[in-house]
Amino acid sequence: MTPTRRDVLLTGWNVGTGLLATAAAWTTYEALAPLTEGAGSGSLTLGAPDAFRDGTATFVREGHLYVTRIGDELFAISQKCPHLGCRVPFCDTSSRFACPCHGSSYNLAGEHLGGPAPRGMDRHPLAIEDGRVVVDLTQTLDGPPLGSRRFGVPPDGVACESGDAKA
Amino acid sequence: MTAPNAEGISTRLRRAVRESTLYRSIVRTPHFDSPLGRAQRAFGNVFLHVYPVRVPDTLLRVRSTWRLGFISTVLFGILLVTGTYLMFFYTPAVTMAYGDMQRLRSQVGFGQLIRNTHRWSAHLMVLAVVLHMARVFWHGAYKSPREFNWVIGLALLVITLAYSFTGYLLPWDQLAYWAVTVGSDLVHYVPVIGGWLRSLLLGGVTIGQSALLRFYVLHIAVLTAMFGVVLSVHLWRVRKDGFAPGTIAPRGRDREVRIEGQDQMSRETTLDETSPPRRVRELGRVTSSSAATHERTPTNEVFTWPHLLVRHQVVALLTTCVVIAMGVLFEAPLREHANVNYTPEPAKAPWYFVGIQELLAHFDPVVSGVLAPAALFVILAALPYVDRDPAWEPQARRPLVATIGMVALVALALTVIGAFFRGPGWAFVLPWEHLYFEP
Repeated sequence: MTPTRRDVLLTGWNVGTGLLATAAAWTTYEALAPLTEGAGSGSLTLGAPDAFRDGTATFVREGHLYVTRIGDELFAISQKCPHLGCRVPFCDTSSRFACPCHGSSYNLAGEHLGGPAPRGMDRHPLAIEDGRVVVDLTQTLDGPPLGSRRFGVPPDGVACESGDAKA
Repeated sequence: MTAPNAEGISTRLRRAVRESTLYRSIVRTPHFDSPLGRAQRAFGNVFLHVYPVRVPDTLLRVRSTWRLGFISTVLFGILLVTGTYLMFFYTPAVTMAYGDMQRLRSQVGFGQLIRNTHRWSAHLMVLAVVLHMARVFWHGAYKSPREFNWVIGLALLVITLAYSFTGYLLPWDQLAYWAVTVGSDLVHYVPVIGGWLRSLLLGGVTIGQSALLRFYVLHIAVLTAMFGVVLSVHLWRVRKDGFAPGTIAPRGRDREVRIEGQDQMSRETTLDETSPPRRVRELGRVTSSSAATHERTPTNEVFTWPHLLVRHQVVALLTTCVVIAMGVLFEAPLREHANVNYTPEPAKAPWYFVGIQELLAHFDPVVSGVLAPAALFVILAALPYVDRDPAWEPQARRPLVATIGMVALVALALTVIGAFFRGPGWAFVLPWEHLYFEP
């Protein structure tokens, strides 16, 4: 059966409308799609590696991150809880990160100890250049998966109340 | 001036106005108090087209609808007015938003009252919309031919929640920042498109200037346009689909009162309201089943103007009084300036999302944050298409009422626990010992 003129025109009309709708959706998406992909920009040069003491976390305000040391290893740990994005304070008396929102906790390496978080705390790449610690802010690496702990659970200490945690 | 003389002047003045060319050009039809005049009031006024010309007299009972849909609409109107005021004093910039809120409180005349009224109206609107839905469910008013209007109503609930969520960020205080952080990180858990959706909503990875501007535009322009269109369709469908039998059926105690009321009404409107025994509007013959949906059960009908309209005016006035009184009595919270480096304890979502937050403490985020709410909405949307039995009496559909009632109870319990029984670190706290709740 050959298509009638009405069929051809109707199909053309529908295809045209469809194309226009696609173009509208595409333009809207291109206009509203976020420009920057990474969280931060550039890198952060901090002090000498020896300045970061073993067994505690040093908060780096500019980078919204902590630098921690376990033995010879240094970690740059994002302050954002991988569960729902709350800022996780470090509690000195219990030697762990404890999230105030839903109670997830992590050891000094940001490895998951308990609570509802889906993984350990996210990290930034950290390097030592010219004897100084440099943190790459353009990249955020997913934290270690559940059950892959390399470091131990810190000994039980006094849990922090809301005010005590390191700001 | 003596009384009879004054009366004479006012009567003459009124007649002169009514007969003037200007007045006649505005009202189109002359008003006279007869059935025709009353009908013409409705026909001749564009705004009254929202109403049918006549409604069943049982609709005049408060308990027919509890006026919840109407109250929701009035609250939306109040939110439009107060929101417009607030727009004059608010800049959607992270450097200015919080300062604007403080200036509103200290330097703008009645600024804080308007902000309070806006906030309490928003909370009450969520409540009114949910209760309206519960009432419609109880009366089985979502059944054929009103299935689609139930779905439209559900869309209005979603838009109402989106309004609340986007409005929540605008003060740019700690409460706003962290509630929206938790809320938008939930979007992250949506399978496959979650991360993309979240960055599209926020305009970046973190909540910053572009997120604030996006929320502002959504709150003021996009959602308002959507709500206006969807609400119009909703009201038009109420008018076209007619009132559900469950809504207008006289029940038990009603019957006596109704006869009494009927006498009263027929005294007012003698001659006109000879209630026809059966009204069948023939719209053409298609099939017997579709014709049957337009058949009305014999009820006593009264004119919308003035009977329903005067009741609606009272309800609108009461609603306005309540939210203004709340605005005078209770301050809308404003905490410290938003601080990325400090999460206040506990960081709670707005009360209508706190049930989800409570669920998050027990289950995987994908289950409690995404699947459970999505399943609830899908089930509610499918309800009128699955439950096809025309019987509307709650007694005639006990299993369904019990099931939905259980779901509602669980949601209520989660909300109450999350709002009142949770403290720092989401630990269990008794509200009479320390209350961590900010509306």
